[in-house]
Amino acid sequence: MIRKKITIKNSSGLHARPSAALVKTASKFKSDFFIHMYGYKVNGKSILGVMTLAAEHGSELELEFDGPDEKEGMKTIVELIDNKFGFTDE
Amino acid sequence: MSSKNVIKRKIFQGISASSGIAIGNVVCLENKRRKVLPQSILESEIEEHLNYFKDSREILIEELSEMLSYLDADSAAIIETQKQILLDAEVEKRVHKIVSEELLSSDYAVYRTFCDFIERLKESGSELFRQRIVDLENLRDRFIDTICEDGSDLSIKKGTILVTKEISPTELVSFHEKGLSGLVMEKGGITSHAALIAQSLEIPCIVSMKNATSKILSGKAILDGREGQLILDPEDELLSEYKSKLKKLKRAQKRLLKNISEPSETKSGTSFSLHANIEFKSELGQLKKYNANDIGLLRTEGLLFSNNLSFEEQAEFYETVLASVSGKVTFRLFDVGGDKLNTKLPEESNPFLGWRGIRMLLDEKELLNQQLRALLICAGKNKGRVKILVPMISVEEEIIRLKTLINDLQAELKAKGKEVDPEIELGIMIEVPSAALNAEHLAKHIDFMSIGTNDLTQYTLAVDRGNERICSLYQQQHPSIWSLIKITADAAKKTKTELAVCGELAGDVLGACGLVGLGITNLSMISNAIPRVKEELISHEDDEFESLADSFLKASNTTQIKGIFEDWRNH
Repeated sequence: MIRKKITIKNSSGLHARPSAALVKTASKFKSDFFIHMYGYKVNGKSILGVMTLAAEHGSELELEFDGPDEKEGMKTIVELIDNKFGFTDE
Repeated sequence: MSSKNVIKRKIFQGISASSGIAIGNVVCLENKRRKVLPQSILESEIEEHLNYFKDSREILIEELSEMLSYLDADSAAIIETQKQILLDAEVEKRVHKIVSEELLSSDYAVYRTFCDFIERLKESGSELFRQRIVDLENLRDRFIDTICEDGSDLSIKKGTILVTKEISPTELVSFHEKGLSGLVMEKGGITSHAALIAQSLEIPCIVSMKNATSKILSGKAILDGREGQLILDPEDELLSEYKSKLKKLKRAQKRLLKNISEPSETKSGTSFSLHANIEFKSELGQLKKYNANDIGLLRTEGLLFSNNLSFEEQAEFYETVLASVSGKVTFRLFDVGGDKLNTKLPEESNPFLGWRGIRMLLDEKELLNQQLRALLICAGKNKGRVKILVPMISVEEEIIRLKTLINDLQAELKAKGKEVDPEIELGIMIEVPSAALNAEHLAKHIDFMSIGTNDLTQYTLAVDRGNERICSLYQQQHPSIWSLIKITADAAKKTKTELAVCGELAGDVLGACGLVGLGITNLSMISNAIPRVKEELISHEDDEFESLADSFLKASNTTQIKGIFEDWRNH
């Protein structure tokens, strides 16, 4: 199991579309994926779970991957968040 | 009527959105707010309830997928997200748990699961996320409706007249298949998607009928689409009067369809061509019925809304359209405002006078290049059949810039060894008054012009047809429109440029006759308008059309023009 802290960089936070992108990407990996925030822990492959974190710009999350492809999964998700989910920032 | 007869009949007025007559029983679809209570089930019913959940989920997913092709106002990204929510593994897990461990019904399981998530979002206190709550509640209610109704609750039978607040295009198509005969909507304008689909499917339809769902609950009714009237509980005489009207209409339609195989020529032998306007893939199937060999206007915005923008997705769509007809297809480049793009922009205070059509395309180079590339490659494979039409041209520089771009792209493709059509035709929409007035100069740069009378009317009379207060000012037959068309037609003649009309005026019998009178014989319209337009055009001599157009140009208002036409037709 690996864990990593990360900050949300896009200005609108993890609203519907970024959440959708995050979940879609995470679901490609076999490993379990959880997100921790302010004591909450949600399934990172559940869009409703991710949305209900209501993570805004600047929120700190801790990502947790556990499984055979955990390293690759972590790298991909971190890149996605760092690249602001590939959306041109509003 | 004698005093012995109690008049039960009630008349409700709305706005006509699709003509025709329907006689049938009213089914009223209110927005029922269902109260969902925990209901115990037996252990033997678990399987069944889990299936309700799965089946309903599948129905909803399918509906959402279909919506993409119907070009609903919602952007595809939102619909994709909704699909993901429906398929959410956490939702499935929790519903399973509530049904199989707590032994509660599936509708309640869905209700509670969604409510839990909604509660958590509410607690977050974030404004931005609060908007999502409405979406989630809506999705939850639709899910529950689907589980409870399994489609049979609404008894749409052959002949049913549906009264509803509003309706999704998907629902309308499925009701049509069940035999829906007429539609009344409380909301929606004549350009709402449901209204457009009603027209295309030839379902008589009335929109903007206030309080319809609280006043018209059941009973026998006559829907008069042309008048925008619903007559509830009509007396027998009225009923038989309408029945014979309906019969006549049907007979007339049959007769009109016969004309379809006749040559498209006026009585004097001048040939004209009637092409189809196409927006939805689902309309392609109707083209054969109306003998439409060419598509005079293909709107491509659907690709934008459904986010099918990759080169392959575009090329596939264009090929499908080309394969559905034997003649030419006029592809109009993306005709939308910047608000439809993924890049969020500050809201424009005057979007119709803003960054849209060619103005937006020239700035969004990647989007434009991708579309042009897909079209140019399709043109190379279908030589002589692809025409490109540019929307919203208001000044000459725009078409010069676009032309340079197309030439460069053609050269680039050729250098890469791709097949291109060196003769590909390029045209512009004449839909802004400046373009009509300047048509002679613009024509020098292009192969054809197509007058978009809807926007031309909007810009000339300075009226937004969607605005209920002033939409009566939206008069496409107004003398000023005829003057601008005349100027364009003269410019086309002088420069020997092909000219067509693709706005609603072309599909209007009065409009079509006037246009032919001005020498415009290339008309593109919603495909089901072709029979009635053809009927009129084959019944008169050229000089009759010419004198009609002359009188239109001399008239001072729309009422006069309508009167002139009625007299002309009946003489």
